Amino acid sequence: MRIFCSFTGGPEVRQLPDLPVRVYDARSPRISTWSALLRAAAEILAAREVIWRLFLRDFISQFRQRLLGYAWALVTPLLGISSFLLLNYAGVLDPGKLFVPYPLYLLLGTTAWGLLVGSVAVVSSALLTHGDLVLRTSIPRMALAVASLAGLFYAQVVNFVVLGVILLVSGVIPSWGALVLPVMLLPVLILGVGIGLVLAVTGAVVRDFTGVVTTLLGLMMYITPAVYVPTSQSPWLQAAVMYNPLTYLIDEPRNVFFLGSIKHLEGFALALLFSALVLVGGIRAFYLIEDHVAEQL
Amino acid sequence: MIRAESLSKKFGLNLKTSMLYGMRDSVRRLAGLRVASDVLRPGEFWAVKDVSFELRRGESLGLMGVNGSGKTTMLRLLNGVFAPDAGRVSLRGRVGALIAAGASFAPMLTGRENVYVNGALLGMSRREIGRRLGEILAFADIGQFIDSPVKHYSSGMLVRLGFAIAAMSEPEILLVDEVLAVGDLKFQKKCYDYLHSLKRNGTSIVLVSHSVGAIWALCDQALFMHRGEIKVAGSVEAVIRAYEDENATLSETEDARESSSEDRATALKVPASDDQEIPADYSGGRGGTGDALIRSVFCSRLTSSGVPATVFDFREGFGIEALVVVRRRVRDPLFRFTINAAHYRFIVTLDSYEQGMVLKEIVPGTFRVRVLIPEQNFAPGAYSVNAALVSKGFAGHLFFWNNAAQFQIMNPSDRFFYSEPNAVMYLEGQFSVDEHDDSTENAAGGDPASGSSDSPLGPRR
Repeated sequence: MRIFCSFTGGPEVRQLPDLPVRVYDARSPRISTWSALLRAAAEILAAREVIWRLFLRDFISQFRQRLLGYAWALVTPLLGISSFLLLNYAGVLDPGKLFVPYPLYLLLGTTAWGLLVGSVAVVSSALLTHGDLVLRTSIPRMALAVASLAGLFYAQVVNFVVLGVILLVSGVIPSWGALVLPVMLLPVLILGVGIGLVLAVTGAVVRDFTGVVTTLLGLMMYITPAVYVPTSQSPWLQAAVMYNPLTYLIDEPRNVFFLGSIKHLEGFALALLFSALVLVGGIRAFYLIEDHVAEQL
Repeated sequence: MIRAESLSKKFGLNLKTSMLYGMRDSVRRLAGLRVASDVLRPGEFWAVKDVSFELRRGESLGLMGVNGSGKTTMLRLLNGVFAPDAGRVSLRGRVGALIAAGASFAPMLTGRENVYVNGALLGMSRREIGRRLGEILAFADIGQFIDSPVKHYSSGMLVRLGFAIAAMSEPEILLVDEVLAVGDLKFQKKCYDYLHSLKRNGTSIVLVSHSVGAIWALCDQALFMHRGEIKVAGSVEAVIRAYEDENATLSETEDARESSSEDRATALKVPASDDQEIPADYSGGRGGTGDALIRSVFCSRLTSSGVPATVFDFREGFGIEALVVVRRRVRDPLFRFTINAAHYRFIVTLDSYEQGMVLKEIVPGTFRVRVLIPEQNFAPGAYSVNAALVSKGFAGHLFFWNNAAQFQIMNPSDRFFYSEPNAVMYLEGQFSVDEHDDSTENAAGGDPASGSSDSPLGPRR
């Protein structure tokens, strides 16, 4: 039987010759950043079977007893971009000067943005969603927090399939950068997970905190080139777009996909560093506050 | 396997307090500041306070207490769900939990699929689940429905399957919360047998249950918790006695409170003056014709007449006394006390006429009526006394008062009563077990149980 206690920094665990020993005491959890990272990795590794089973459970449940079944997953991304396409077709939305057909520009932008918003949503709500498991089992809460990401990964795979179909239909040939698209999307995922981890624990204590942050995140879309090329003359807006890390995290994967190069390397590097810091901070904050989650459920 | 030292846990009294303190503690932790969790702040309460115990390999501990006593919180502290605010607990070995078995099943998945999911949630690897799948299915006895979605299962099937999965994980420490009364009798027996086999193999079990029978059947020692603290700790029998006496005391208090609330409902308070109006119907807890009223009723010890007492030892004699105010002459008066048990009314009646006291009349005045009960065999528990004044020539009550007094019979220290909590009487009986020979019965053509000395077996002992 897999044992969910082989980690560092959490409840004190000592591996005696035959049996593990868990100790819970009343010390305030002090955990260094490095210990937090090690602990997260160890817990996720130890609970990989649980993560897989939870994903299967939710995935199968989602598509059973539906007329379209698993085909529904293919329809979802197309529906997601349809409103923007309709506005563009009607002349309401002018996305600016594009180097590729708008549907492709849009699909890549929404894929990256959806990955950010999706990871924030699933990670921040994971402990509440799995509240029964938090209260009844000793599954590491970090494992529960990231378990829902499996469903998000599946959705991304479907997005890539739809993207491939649209490329074929439109006759657009991407650059070699298309092969590294998943890697280029990692920073935005890291950022989303980091924000989600903070919200997972703080949102359990103050429920409306998550709603406030996700609403603010939604507003950020207007200063992020996800569905349009920013061409505003306003210096304030230009500055907002330029100093917004999301600008690079959303736009550069698209540039690499079509053009094979990063347009703003320095900006992307700083955004990547920002994402990493948010993730590390999120993991540490998670372990510092996770004890309060069960009390609030 | 388990050592708990001064384990304590507190919560906020309401959501707002919990949220505010949660926010404050979270900010302090993020800032690297210490949080003084062992201090009770305004608006907080101790759900578990200063609980210590040790459980060795193969031993089992029962946690008993009324609702809100801290049992489930204690279990969650052991399972690592809550972090303690004071003290510490160490657990050696793998910990399994049987809590709300079956509650996390996904309705759209089949029973077989849910076995894999829930087995993984309990820490079993896929290989281990595959190896034990046959045992799990045999234990749960779901039959052909194992491949149907669990949303079609009955609640009994869900719990049986959940129990089977958790039980087969074979942890060194098993935490069980109120899940043993599941399924039919055969399944319950299977569960108990399996838990006993786990014990024999060295698993330590902590059981939370309201069922005295479950605790007695499975546990070696017990804790009686009250408002988060240990009230009694020790052998199962001693703790069960204390638990039942506490329940009886609470029941007694509830009767007294109910009696006062009935009085409030009828707007009849204990009269400051005997001129007060008395309801002439049976709608409230007291009423009568106005010819007389009973001012007070209480129980007393045989040796202390006039001194109220509410707690008596098992089989201890006691008396019931009443102060009766007679306003108008009453012919052929009868004084009557009846006794209610926790779940039954009028289990005993003490009527002056039945008991041989015949009064021709009683004149206006104040009288003390007393009945002595030198020997009684009430089962341990809480009881209440109804009092009434009746006249032989009138079919109704001249005055009645329900739940006028309460008393409690304590559990004896030299005996252990567990078999039927609703029993109200104790009878001395002599059990015997003799071997019965069916062949002799057939040859004799009669029932050897008739006790006939002509029976080939000889007379019955």
